[in-house]
Amino acid sequence: MADQIKDLYLFNPNVKKQWENFLMEKGISVFSDQEVQAIDQTIGLFDDQGQLVGTGSIAGKTIKYIAVSDDGSGASGARFNQVVSALEMDLAEAGHFQIFVFTKPQYQASFEHVGFHTLAKTDYGLILEKGTPNIETYRASLEKKPADAKTVAAIVMNANPFTKGHRYLVEQAAKENDWVYVFVVNQDVSLFTTAERTMLVREGTKDLKNVAVENGGDYMVSYLSFPAYFIKNQDTAIKYQTALDATLFKEQLAKPLGIQKRYLGTEPKSHTTALYNETLKTILPPEVQVVEIPRLTQGSGQDVVSATEVRADIKADQIDQLTNLVPETTFAFIKDKKTELQDRISKGQKINGN
Amino acid sequence: MAADERLRRTMMFVPGNNPGLIKDAGIFGVDSIMFDLEDAVNMNEKDSARYLVYEALQTFDYGNAELVVRINGLDTPFYENDIKAMVKAGIDVIRLPKTENADMIHELENLVEAAEKEFGREVGSTHLMAAIESAMGVVNAYEIASASDRMIGIALSAEDYTTDMKTHRYPDGQELLYARNAILHAARAAKIAAFDTVFTNLDDEEGFIRETKLIHQLGFDGKSLINPRQIAPVNKIYAPTQKEILNAQNVMAAIEEAKRKGSGVIAMNGQMVDRPVVLRAERVMMLAKANNLIDAEGNYIGE
Amino acid sequence: MEIKQTAMAGTLESSDLQIVLSQGTKGIEFDLTSDVAKQFGNDIKATIKSVLDAYDIENASVKVVDKGALTPVIKARAITAAQRALDLKDQPNWEVL
Repeated sequence: MADQIKDLYLFNPNVKKQWENFLMEKGISVFSDQEVQAIDQTIGLFDDQGQLVGTGSIAGKTIKYIAVSDDGSGASGARFNQVVSALEMDLAEAGHFQIFVFTKPQYQASFEHVGFHTLAKTDYGLILEKGTPNIETYRASLEKKPADAKTVAAIVMNANPFTKGHRYLVEQAAKENDWVYVFVVNQDVSLFTTAERTMLVREGTKDLKNVAVENGGDYMVSYLSFPAYFIKNQDTAIKYQTALDATLFKEQLAKPLGIQKRYLGTEPKSHTTALYNETLKTILPPEVQVVEIPRLTQGSGQDVVSATEVRADIKADQIDQLTNLVPETTFAFIKDKKTELQDRISKGQKINGN
Repeated sequence: MAADERLRRTMMFVPGNNPGLIKDAGIFGVDSIMFDLEDAVNMNEKDSARYLVYEALQTFDYGNAELVVRINGLDTPFYENDIKAMVKAGIDVIRLPKTENADMIHELENLVEAAEKEFGREVGSTHLMAAIESAMGVVNAYEIASASDRMIGIALSAEDYTTDMKTHRYPDGQELLYARNAILHAARAAKIAAFDTVFTNLDDEEGFIRETKLIHQLGFDGKSLINPRQIAPVNKIYAPTQKEILNAQNVMAAIEEAKRKGSGVIAMNGQMVDRPVVLRAERVMMLAKANNLIDAEGNYIGE
Repeated sequence: MEIKQTAMAGTLESSDLQIVLSQGTKGIEFDLTSDVAKQFGNDIKATIKSVLDAYDIENASVKVVDKGALTPVIKARAITAAQRALDLKDQPNWEVL
C-alpha cells in the first residue's frame, strides 16, 4: 500500500519530539517558539512500517517545515509531492488558494515542478507563490501611473500612524518625481489597524495629485517576507529576510512597474529598520536608486519626528503635544479615537516596536 | 442468491482517490478488484473519489476481474450518491461496510433498485455483498447472507470486529475463530461466497501464508488483499494438486460419457456422481486453468 | 453558470492532476504546468474545456498541474472541481457524468 498521510499533533510532546528529530535529520533545526506556535497544522507521511518519512506544516497561508526521506525507488519526488499536495488540500479546505513557501534554495525546482512560481531568491532562501490572487493580479490592481509620467518613485511605510515625518518624505518624493507609489504595510499587528493606517496616509496626502496610496499586500514587509520586522530576532535572520524582501521589491514591483527610486527616511532609532535600509542600499541599485531623506525634526530641536513617540504620547494621554508631530488629519482621528486607542494599549498591544 | 461459481480467491483493495493505483489495478490478474470509497478516502475527498472511480470504470480495462466498490456506510451522508454513481457506472458488486442486520441490506437494495430504474440499468443486474465488522453482524450473519437474491458474498472485516470484541489481532488468529466459522457457515447455507479479512503486515510473508492456508482449509472462497504482492501466494495455496486435477478430469470425462450415451445418470467407477461432486470438479478445473496447470489438451503442466 | 467559489481538486501525485478553478472574466483561461505540456497540453485543456462546457461555465481561470494524468482522471478531477466551484459538492449533476 502507498505511504499514508496522517495528522501530527505537536501539542503531544512525544509527537513533537519525533517531528523535531526527523526535521533535524533533514537539516532543519529552527524551532523558535514563535515559529512553532504560528503553525496551524502539521501532517506526517508514514510508510508501510509506520515510519515517519515526510512532514510539512501550514501557518496561515504559508507552507513551512517541509522535509521528506528519499524512498529509494528512484521516485524521490513522489513523497514531496504527496506532502505538498496534502497541505494544499488542507489550505484549500481553509479557503486559502493563494499559497506561499519560504524555503531553502535547493527546493526551488521541486516546488516549481508542482506549480509554484518564484517571487524572490537570494543565496539564503527563496519565496515562492502559487494560486490566486498572486503578484500579477496584485500589480494589475495598482493605480496606473499617467502615460506621460517619466520618473517613478516608491515609498514603503507602516505609518503607525502617519506623521509629519511621513508627510515630509512623501512631499520630497512627489516634488522630485512625476509619480509616487506609497505602499502601506498590510500586516495588521500594529496599534493602528491597517484600514486606519491606510486611511490616514490617504487623507494626509490627498493634496498631492501625483501620489497613489496602495496596500502593500503580501509583498512588502509582510510576515511572509520579513517576519523579523514584527518578531524580535537575531541580526543574521534579519539580514536574510531583508535581502529577500528587497529582492522581491526589486524583481516583482520596481522592474515591472518602472519604479526607479525608493525613498527612505534615515533611521536613527530603530535597529531593525536601520539594518533594513542598509540591505536596500546593497540590493536595489543600480536599477533602483535609494534616496535617503534626513528625518524631519521637531521645530528647531534635535528630536526627530517618530511614530513611536506619537504612540507613547497617546499612552501617556498627552494628546495636545501631538500637533507638533502629526498632520491635522491624523490629529483629528487620534483625538476622536483616543479612548479606543488607549484601550488597545491597555489590552496588551505593544507600542514600542514598529 | 446469485450463486455463480466464479473464482473469488483474491479481492484487492484499491484506494478510491488514487489514480496511479486505480489505473494499474487491472494488470495483476486479481479475481476481484474492490475500489474503496470508504476508509481509504479522506472525508473531504468523498466526492472526488466517487467521480474518479466512476470515470475509471467507464474507461479502463479490468479484464475479467469482478468489479466491486465499497461504498460509505448507511450512517454517513455519502452513501446515496455513492450508490447512484456506482449503479450508473455499471459496477458488478456494491459492498456495504459495517453490516449488522438484514434490514440494512434491504435498505441498500431499495436504493440500488431505484438507481437502476433511474439510470436505465436492468433491475437486478447490480449484485451486493456485505462486510461484517461487529459482534452483531456475526450473530446475524445468516440473515444478512440470505437477505437478498442480489447477494453474492459476505466478508469478515477483522479490524473493526476485534475492536468491537475488545481485543485486537494476534498472529495466530484465535480471536477470529468463531467469526470466521460463523460467517463461513452463513455463506455456505445461503449459497454465496465467503471472503476472509485482510492481512496488513506486508513484511510478515510467513504469517500471511499461514493465515491463507488456514482460511483455505476452513473453506473460504478467498482473501481480501491490500497489495498486489499478496496475489501470487494466495493463488498458489488455492491451486489444486495434480491428483485433484486428474480426479476432476475423470469426473468431467464421466459427464461427457453420460451425455454421449444420452444417459441422465452420471456414473464413475460404479458410483453415481452427484451434484456437489460435479460442482467441485468444475471448480478444480477452473482453478487449474487459472493457475496455468493444464494446457489446451488437458495435459498437466505444473511443476 | 457562474463560479461561486474558488475550488481545488486532485493531487500532485504521479498519474494525477491538480486543478484549481476560480472566477474569470475573459472566457476560459488556462495556466498549465506539465512535463508533457508540449505533446499533451492541448488534449488536457480540451478534456477540461469539455467538462466546463457541460456545466455551462463560460468564464473561469483554470490552473492545472499535471502529473501524467490519463483522460478519465483529468475528466474526474475537472468534474470534482466544477461541482465544488458551483457549490454543488453533494449534488452531483448526473447528466454530466
